[in-house]
Amino acid sequence: MMKRCVFNASPSNAGCRAQAKLERVLACDGMNRNKRGQTSLAVPPRASSIGLNTYESGRGVCSQECSRFDTGARETFVLLALAAIVILVPAVSGAQEDRVAQLAKEVGGKGWIAFAARGENGTWDLFLMRPDGSERRNVTNTPDHEEGGPRFSPDGKRLLYRRFAKGTVISHDLWGFQGNLVIAQADGSNPVQIGGDREFPWASWSPDGKQIACLSQKGIQIVDLETKKVVRELPRKGIYQQLFWSPDGQWFCGVANARIMWTVVRMNAQTGEVNIVHEFQSCTPDWFPDSTHVIFPCRPAGQDGYGFTQLWMGKGDGTDAKMIYGEDGYHIYGGALSPDGKYVLFTRCPEDGGGSEKSGAPICVMRMEDAPAIHGPSVALRKVHPDAKDATVLQLVEGWEPCWTYAETGAQK
Amino acid sequence: MKTVSTGVLLWIVLAGVSCAKKSPPAAVDPNVTTRGSIEVTARLEEIRGDLIDDPLYDYAHVMKYKVVQVHRGKVDEDVIYVGHYNPAEPRSSVADARVQEIGGNVKQFRVGDVHRMALEVPIDDYYMGGIINKYFGDVNDPVHWAIWTDKAAK
Repeated sequence: MMKRCVFNASPSNAGCRAQAKLERVLACDGMNRNKRGQTSLAVPPRASSIGLNTYESGRGVCSQECSRFDTGARETFVLLALAAIVILVPAVSGAQEDRVAQLAKEVGGKGWIAFAARGENGTWDLFLMRPDGSERRNVTNTPDHEEGGPRFSPDGKRLLYRRFAKGTVISHDLWGFQGNLVIAQADGSNPVQIGGDREFPWASWSPDGKQIACLSQKGIQIVDLETKKVVRELPRKGIYQQLFWSPDGQWFCGVANARIMWTVVRMNAQTGEVNIVHEFQSCTPDWFPDSTHVIFPCRPAGQDGYGFTQLWMGKGDGTDAKMIYGEDGYHIYGGALSPDGKYVLFTRCPEDGGGSEKSGAPICVMRMEDAPAIHGPSVALRKVHPDAKDATVLQLVEGWEPCWTYAETGAQK
Repeated sequence: MKTVSTGVLLWIVLAGVSCAKKSPPAAVDPNVTTRGSIEVTARLEEIRGDLIDDPLYDYAHVMKYKVVQVHRGKVDEDVIYVGHYNPAEPRSSVADARVQEIGGNVKQFRVGDVHRMALEVPIDDYYMGGIINKYFGDVNDPVHWAIWTDKAAK
């Protein structure tokens, strides 16, 4: 998927071949796995940043540049280039590793991440881990079921998720309608099934954790968890999936048919009034802790071919939309904020959809202050966002739909 | 031998023609006469936009029909707007996890074709998913939801 320089196999471009070898290393996406089970994006994202040819250089450009040198000059160039590679690459690579390690150290003690992933038994289970990837453990471990879509309650003491029959293919668009709703303690203990098959679809927590909002064909239903009764209903106004209640309780966000489909909308939780947050191939929204901003993946128009899904944010009133993270070659899903809004979680998957139908995708952590950020060569994306930073991203294990709490209730007792 | 074979073949052809003349009109599929609350025969007048064939995402595409005959239910307008689920798929295989009660014998949607359809209205009460509606903003009529779509004689 990454764009690479292609080189003619002639002696006249030995320097280019040396660079090609370097770029294969850079482009192989080989993550360095450290002792804590993290995989870090430790290589420099752009060869150009260390004085080498850029990834834009195709066969023709590279051949033309190389042919300018006579043999003696070429040998000198080759030696200088190799020296630069030997000296500069480890330095830059090391600096990047240091930045990733610093990020891991920074977030390591900040609560817990819950996520779904394939367990050793092959089914989808729920896991907890520290935000640096340490202390990972399977908290459901159910070989006879699949589980997914975990959400910590606002106080971090409970987990809401869906349990599916073994072998269910979890659809990235339908999962909220699939299976049963289950609520357990945050460490996965005492799971209680709420209702029957397909009931309480797209359940999301109220701010006090005493109610859930559900999205069904009938509309948006507010359900009291103690009595399981519907206490209030609202028309869904075209929202058809991925409903989430804002932390302040004033809003819902979801995916709707508005002027066009795949539009992220905000609904006033009292009046039912809807406004557009972001149009065109936008989905899977979730709230920032401030209840003012929404995070959502978006596959913008104007890309070559199918394009790639990026992580975006915008104000709930539909203004100030901007990219958080993007990377040509990868679809970014699973966007979620840390409870203080300083860090962002996401997954990066080479295939569209987030990977729920297979084994998910690597979960990543990034500082919000680094946004907008781009990783990898991402030539086309960098042209659209020339001011984006090179991302310092902590890449963790494969998973799907991660969420974050700063509560310590996920700790093993 | 050749004469006998030719004779037999001729007899089969004539018998076939004779039977075809006597056969009653094809029975209407009970799925189209019983499903939904509305049943119409209508000519497909317009398909705005391209029909997307993307196995990763489901959607309904709204098409414009001219009503030829109302068989059941109430239809006030001569022109109706009908949402067809994943229209790049033949109706016989379009049912899936999201939409299970749907079908028909139409293999491809082509402007000018006449369809006999079992419908419901409005679409939002019967279908929950992405809708491509290129008439949004131009037309305020409710969009019908196609449950069963069979080909009808022009």
